[in-house]
Amino acid sequence: MNLAMKDIGSNLSRFLLTLVGVGFLITAAIGMVGLYRGIISDALLIIDNIGADLWVVQGGHAGPFAESSAISPTMDRRVDGVAGVAGARRFVQSSQQFEFEGRDVRASVTGLDFPEDVGGWLRVVRGRHLASAHFEAIADVSLGLALGDEIRLGRDDYAIVGITRGMVDAQGDGLLFVTVNDAMTIASRRNSEEILLARNGMAETADAASASNAGRIAAVVVGLDPAADPERVRAVIGRWGDVDVLSRDDQHALLLDQRLWRLRIQILAFTGVLLVVMAIVISLIIYTMTLEKLHQIAMLKLIGARNSVIVSMIVQQAAMIGLGGFAVGLGFAEAIFPLFPRKVAILPGDLFSLVLAVVVISGVASSFGIARAMKVRAQEVLA
Amino acid sequence: MTRSPILSVRDAARHYQSGETVIRALDGVSFDVFPGELVGIVGPSGSGKSTMLLIAGLLELPTGGCVAFEGEIVSRPGGSIAGLRDFRRRKIGFVFQKANLIPFLTAAENVALVLQIDDVPAAAARLHAERLLAALGLGERLDNRPARLSGGEQQRVAIARALANDPPLLLADEPTAALDSVRGRQVMELFRTIADVRQAGIVVVTHDNRSLDLFDRLVEFSDGRIVAVTDNRPAARPASRPGAA
Repeated sequence: MNLAMKDIGSNLSRFLLTLVGVGFLITAAIGMVGLYRGIISDALLIIDNIGADLWVVQGGHAGPFAESSAISPTMDRRVDGVAGVAGARRFVQSSQQFEFEGRDVRASVTGLDFPEDVGGWLRVVRGRHLASAHFEAIADVSLGLALGDEIRLGRDDYAIVGITRGMVDAQGDGLLFVTVNDAMTIASRRNSEEILLARNGMAETADAASASNAGRIAAVVVGLDPAADPERVRAVIGRWGDVDVLSRDDQHALLLDQRLWRLRIQILAFTGVLLVVMAIVISLIIYTMTLEKLHQIAMLKLIGARNSVIVSMIVQQAAMIGLGGFAVGLGFAEAIFPLFPRKVAILPGDLFSLVLAVVVISGVASSFGIARAMKVRAQEVLA
Repeated sequence: MTRSPILSVRDAARHYQSGETVIRALDGVSFDVFPGELVGIVGPSGSGKSTMLLIAGLLELPTGGCVAFEGEIVSRPGGSIAGLRDFRRRKIGFVFQKANLIPFLTAAENVALVLQIDDVPAAAARLHAERLLAALGLGERLDNRPARLSGGEQQRVAIARALANDPPLLLADEPTAALDSVRGRQVMELFRTIADVRQAGIVVVTHDNRSLDLFDRLVEFSDGRIVAVTDNRPAARPASRPGAA
C-alpha cells in the first residue's frame, strides 16, 4: 500500500494546487536563468555566426559592439592583402527607427558585404537570401514584417525578401539585414536641411559626429586560412596603427565582462534570490505536510510500522512535489516564454542543474521532516 | 485448571521527577491477564490507569519492575521502546477513545495496513480485512474513509484493525467514551465476544459503569496502586493475592 499516493489521492485538488504553486516558482527560476542565457545568446549571435576569426576595428576602440567604431570603407582591401587572410568583409550596424503601417519599428540594421555575403549564415525561415545589391532586406520575425512588405529607410524603399527567427541584437531589437552599401546609406541619412548646411560649410551646426562617420564602416570581418597563425596576422595588421584587431574571444570578453557585466550580475543575483525563495517555499511545504501527519505517524508507529514505511512516505511525497512541480514549471515555461518579447533560452544543461537543485532542496526538506517524524513517539496518539 | 498468563506486570512503577517532588504515577503494580479474559480497569482520573496501559502496551518503559509476555520479560527499566515495535505489532492490538484511523485510507485499507506492515501480501491483507470488517457488521462500509463513518463505525474499524494480526492481547483505553450508551454497550459486547471466541486477553480502561457486568475482573486503581480486585466469574481462575490482580 502506497501511503504517499493514498494521502495525495485523498486531497488531490490541494496537491495539484501545491504543484501549480511550486511549478510557478520553478517557472520563474527557469525564466531568470533562461533570460540570462537569452541575453548572452542574443549579444553573441553575430559574433558567433558571422564567421569572423578576427575583427579589425577603429584604433583605440573596442568596437563595434562594446564601443563605436568607424574605419575606412576600403579597409577590407588592405586586410585582404595580408598573408593568411582568406577573406575580408565589411561590417556595418546601426540602430534605426522607422514607421511601418502606422507603428514605430525599431531595428538594428546590419550590413552584409554583398555579393561575398548574401546572408547564408542567417537563420532564414521564410523567403530567400539577398539577391540584389540594393533595396532588399531580410527581417527578423520579431520586427513584425512579412515577405513582400516594403519599408522606407532614409530616402529609399526596401523589399522584405527573407524572414529570420531569433536574430536580435544585445538590446533585443530585431536585426534587419541589407547590403553593406545600403546599410551605410541608411546610417548616414540626413534630412534636406542638414545636406544644405553641409554644402555651405556649416556642418558643425548639424550632427557633426554623424557627418564625420558618413561613408565609413564599423569593422572588417576577417576569415583566416586554416593554416594561418592568428597571432601573426593580428600582429601584422596591428602594426598599421590606425586600427585595432580583436579576436572572437576578445569580442566575447568585451561584451560579457564589460558591456553586459552589470546586467549579468543583476540577473544572476535575482536568480540566486529566486532559488533561495524556491528552496524555502518547497522546504516549508514538505515540512508542513509532514507536521500535518504527525498524529498519523504516531499511529503508524503504534501499530508497529517500521521507520522505513514512514521515511518512504515522506520522501515519496517530497519527490512528487519537487519533481512534479518541476514538470509543471517546465510545462509553463515552454508554453509562456516563447510569447515573451526577449529570448528566454531554456538549455538542457540549465534544466539539469535546476532539477538537481530541486532534488537537493526536496531531499534536505524531507530530511527535516524525517528528523521530526522520527522524534514522534507512538504514545502521542493518546495526546 | 491453571493457564499461563499472556501478560504479566510485576511490581511495575513509573515515577517522574518534577523539581524536588517525585510523582508516583504507578507504584508497584502487579497484574496478570489470561487468554479469553476481559479485564476492566477502573479508577478516578490520575489514578494510574492510562500509565499502566502504556507500560503494559510497551509504549513506555517502567522505572521499576517489569513486563512479561507469555512468561518472557520484554520490558524493564533501561530497555529500549524502539526495539519493541516489531514485538508490539505481532502481540498487541490497541483501541483508544478516539478511533485514530488514518484519515486518507478507507476502512478496509486501515485494517489491511496492519497486515501489510507485517509483510502480508496486499491481496491477502485486503481479503482478511474485508472478512474482519464484515464480521463486525461493516461489510457495506469497506471503501468508506473515516470521515464518512459514524463514531461507532469508526470504533469498530479500530477494533478490526487491532484484531487484524490476531494478537493475543488487546488493550483499550476508554473505547466507549465517545459513544452513546447503546453503541458503547455494543462495543463492549464485541470485546466480550472477541475474548470468548478468539481467546484473546483484553484489558479495557473504562469509566463506563453500564457495561461492568461484561468483565471477568475489575481492577480498581487509586494513586498509582491497585486498591481492589472484583472477580465476576463464578469460579475464579488464579486466586487474587496482595499486589497481584
